[in-house]
Amino acid sequence: MAEVRLADIRKSFGRTEILHGLTLTVASGEFVSLLGASGCGKTTLLRIVAGLETVTTGRVEIAGADVTALPPERRDIAMMFQSYALLPHLSVAENVRFPLRMRGLGSRDEQAARVAEALETVQLAPFAGRRPRQLSGGQQQRVALARAIVSRPKVLLLDEPLSNLDARLRQDMHVELIELHRRLGLTTIFVTHDQEEALSLSDRIVLINAGQIEQEGAPAAIYDRPATAFASAFLGAANLVPVRIERRAGEAVAVFADGQALALGPGAWPEGAATVALRQEEIALHAVGDLAAAGGPRARVRTRVFLGARCRYVVALGDVTLRALTGNEPAFAAGAEVSLRIPEGRIRVLPG
Amino acid sequence: MTDRQESALLLLPGLLLLAGAFLVPILQMLALSVAGPDGGWTLDHFRRFLGDGFYLAVLARTVRLSLVITAICLAVGFPMAYIMARARPRPRVWLIVLVILPLMTSVVVRTFGWMVLLSRSGLVSGLLRDFGLAPRNFALMYTETAIVIGMVQVLLPFMALSILGVILRIDPRIEEAARTMGCSFLRALAAVVLPLSLPGIVAGSLLVFTLSASSFVTPNLLGGPRVQVLAASVWRAVTQTLDWPFAAAQAVILFAGVLAILVPYIRIAGRGHG
Amino acid sequence: MVRAVPPALRVAAVVFVALTAVFLVGPLVVVVGVSLSESQFIAFPPAGLSLRWYDRVLSSEAFLAAGWLSLRLALLVTLSATLVGGAAAIAIHRRRLPGGEVLGALFLSPLVLPTIIYAIGMLMLWSALFGPVSLAALWIGHTVIAAPYVVRTTLAVLADSDPFAEEAARTMGAGRLRRLWLVVLPQCLPGLGAGAFFAFNLSFDEAVLSLFLRRPGLTTLPVQIYGQLEFSPDPSVAAVSSLMIAVTVGLIVVIDRIVGVQKVAST
Repeated sequence: MAEVRLADIRKSFGRTEILHGLTLTVASGEFVSLLGASGCGKTTLLRIVAGLETVTTGRVEIAGADVTALPPERRDIAMMFQSYALLPHLSVAENVRFPLRMRGLGSRDEQAARVAEALETVQLAPFAGRRPRQLSGGQQQRVALARAIVSRPKVLLLDEPLSNLDARLRQDMHVELIELHRRLGLTTIFVTHDQEEALSLSDRIVLINAGQIEQEGAPAAIYDRPATAFASAFLGAANLVPVRIERRAGEAVAVFADGQALALGPGAWPEGAATVALRQEEIALHAVGDLAAAGGPRARVRTRVFLGARCRYVVALGDVTLRALTGNEPAFAAGAEVSLRIPEGRIRVLPG
Repeated sequence: MTDRQESALLLLPGLLLLAGAFLVPILQMLALSVAGPDGGWTLDHFRRFLGDGFYLAVLARTVRLSLVITAICLAVGFPMAYIMARARPRPRVWLIVLVILPLMTSVVVRTFGWMVLLSRSGLVSGLLRDFGLAPRNFALMYTETAIVIGMVQVLLPFMALSILGVILRIDPRIEEAARTMGCSFLRALAAVVLPLSLPGIVAGSLLVFTLSASSFVTPNLLGGPRVQVLAASVWRAVTQTLDWPFAAAQAVILFAGVLAILVPYIRIAGRGHG
Repeated sequence: MVRAVPPALRVAAVVFVALTAVFLVGPLVVVVGVSLSESQFIAFPPAGLSLRWYDRVLSSEAFLAAGWLSLRLALLVTLSATLVGGAAAIAIHRRRLPGGEVLGALFLSPLVLPTIIYAIGMLMLWSALFGPVSLAALWIGHTVIAAPYVVRTTLAVLADSDPFAEEAARTMGAGRLRRLWLVVLPQCLPGLGAGAFFAFNLSFDEAVLSLFLRRPGLTTLPVQIYGQLEFSPDPSVAAVSSLMIAVTVGLIVVIDRIVGVQKVAST
């Protein structure tokens, strides 16, 4: 099994530095997602692991061996591309056999058996003789997956492989990827800009922002305890609200611009200007006077968006606009005044 | 081997061919146009051309005919290209074949067809006489009109295809959007398709003008020796009077003339587009 | 599809297309018609039907020699233009070399430069270096003007291909040569094929360069026809011309099979 170590990776294109000294270790068999907005350098980092880009400085190790200077064809990896990059002139089976043929793995019969097995794994055995263009997008995607796992690489690299699929197929593929990873235990690096995808697939998420690691950790940990404003905004799309933290009657409160206060509960809160991160799904709306929200700040409903199982509200708290994701009942019309309830333990205060 | 070296290696044969068999011959022609009799250099060949009323008339005719041919090709080529672009797939294939078939047929063969049609006993001249549109002994052969007719047929496909390539990339929904905003069909054509296809119109006109100014096969056969154009005069100097430096000088004038008309044209069209 | 075209304009469009069709294809029909004539004289519509002029052509020493030269030349040009142009297109497509834009323009420039200007230069240079023109001179000259067609068709095909296919092959262990042979070449194939047939067509039909680089014994078919048109046309010229039209039609059918005429027309 194979561990991937990236040590102080820097990458410049011309004079622009894209990656500013990233260090990251992916344990053997781990599923790590590189999460970030487009242009943050996550794909470049993945391509560096593949060998498709060279590093400006730094070191890449796969399974303990320094591969920094090795071209991709001599690294024991497999990569899935966003466009799938199937070879249009080869049949599905020939596409899947391609890495075995290139790497000279096994006799012809053994290769055929492994191709059949890989196609079986992705449930495409009946399509072995077809050309890629005769398949649907989801099927092409699974051919690419079969082609990636057939050579049993040390490391599997996935570059936003699901982004061209529609939502339904993507969810199916999430399940398939999780099961496949559990079964094969491949060291996997997965690049995505979709936080939900990263949260549902990964053992660990590495959040990348502007060429640096912003935060890393297990999905639950990184979701519950985002360390920075960027992390809060990117994961869960939290409301970031500027406040002043004060003590009133011995209790710490966050005071909004319009003077309303929100109790923070016990804790060592630093007083002064700060930003609170309020996650959408943790803001509840109550009728004014409802005891459940007693003492909560008041806001006015600007817009209500019906989402089926849930409902999104945009509310104005003074000049501050908040988004809340609630159940369907009770419904508040635009213009209604409401009390907000935010559980004390769910408020995160970020410096600044 | 690096990627760059591999690319360089792939490019090398082409580069050598272009350098040795394309750029050097052109330089050789430029050099010969100023070659003096005693190995020195001279502008005599240019002086001879520019000081002779006959050659100046040939030059003027070449420019005039090229402009007329380009204008006609544009007037016919644009609607043709638009119809091809917006036709349903099956008729479109047939329309494209209609344009490509003459394009890919030898110029000599096509000109032969026109010689038959335009001659005194030919169909076109005959029809014109029958309808009383022309005098009794009338023939279109050996006139400027014959050259224009023949050249438009030779060059129309270039224009139509240049414009077609651009119109095919215009999203038809933009036209539909213009219609929903109150444009009539023709206004949508003028306000949306025409400006968006300007790059194709410019490219096509460029190509057609250049090709028509430099053709001699069709003008020679349809215009005859009395209606000479510049390229035909070059051909004559090479094959009949065997005065190569003078031929080279005329070719340089042709080259310069083509550039002199095209450069401002590109500028104007570029400004109109931007 | 833009519907709601006024009916009057629809009718006008149909009439316009019909007239243009007659104008574009008419001369070719006339040539074929003349070739089938029984009469001694060139006349259209033909007087009587016969294939005697085809007989005449196939027993004419001059036409057979010219045809054989044209065929050999076109095959040589097809081979060289496809190799040179295809390789150049791959290199240009990759954009790994400095001055990529300029390179592309340079390789397509023989398409824009009037052939007569090039033809004079070629004649003068060849005469200065090697004396009388030869098949080699025609071969090189035609390759220069045919290769850009291959460059263009190949670039068009490559532009539509998956840009990551070659990288994917790298991650699967394919080295440089095998990537070129197993990934890039199959991707280029339709473009190379179409370009090859264009090159053949261009060389087979080309008149300008061939007229400048002619000498007794080095006369291609179009040059032979041109010479007869200038002096003594008879229906046998029409028969040869008709055969050339037939070759063109055949080439169009083949190109359509390879890439589709629509693709060809829009690149």
